[in-house]
Amino acid sequence: MDSLSKSRRKALKVSVAALCTEVGFGVAEESAIETLTEMLQSLLTEIGKSSKAYTELSGRTEVMVTDVLTALIDQGIHIDSIPAYANRGGKTVLISPVQTAAPPI
Amino acid sequence: QPVKQEPRAPGVPLVEFVQQLDDYTPTIPDSVTAHYLSRAGFEPTDPRIVRLVSLAAQKFVSDIANDALQHCKMKGGVSNKNKGKDKKLVLTMEDLSPALAEYGINVKKPLYYT
Repeated sequence: MDSLSKSRRKALKVSVAALCTEVGFGVAEESAIETLTEMLQSLLTEIGKSSKAYTELSGRTEVMVTDVLTALIDQGIHIDSIPAYANRGGKTVLISPVQTAAPPI
Repeated sequence: QPVKQEPRAPGVPLVEFVQQLDDYTPTIPDSVTAHYLSRAGFEPTDPRIVRLVSLAAQKFVSDIANDALQHCKMKGGVSNKNKGKDKKLVLTMEDLSPALAEYGINVKKPLYYT
């Protein structure tokens, strides 16, 4: 694993930890956080893949909101409760990492 | 007499909701979500779409964590009162596994690990 993917994993891990704290946990096992991180990573990749497939199925190249929503429904996520979730109180915001150098492609 | 339900287009309020995500910061950094999406071939041009994905993913994790919390509380309420006043809830695999099982994910403890 190179340093770039390590740092992205770290960012995801911090996000998972922040969400767990928000729910009400004070302490967590390393393996539990790691499991959730792995699932989050898979979910993000899967949403990307699925949305892209729906976009191309409609003969477009630019992803639209409806494609993402269809992909989310496919994953079994209740999209109707997302706005309520977004407006919840006491949410944690992480300062997004600053990119110091252009990533090698 | 059966109640007549208004036919409604699903997702229409959500399309409006996405328009409001301009000045919203999800917990997962935008750049991180954008990277995982672009790795899957999805080149996000609109930052609001990235935020929608972040939010959905966050909700997924939060829901699971909440289920695990309920398991933890149910168990903890009966038996252990750990360390008196310093009562912090601990997220363990024991609580996480049944929560994940509800989502159809079966986690097995790897063999030969502590």
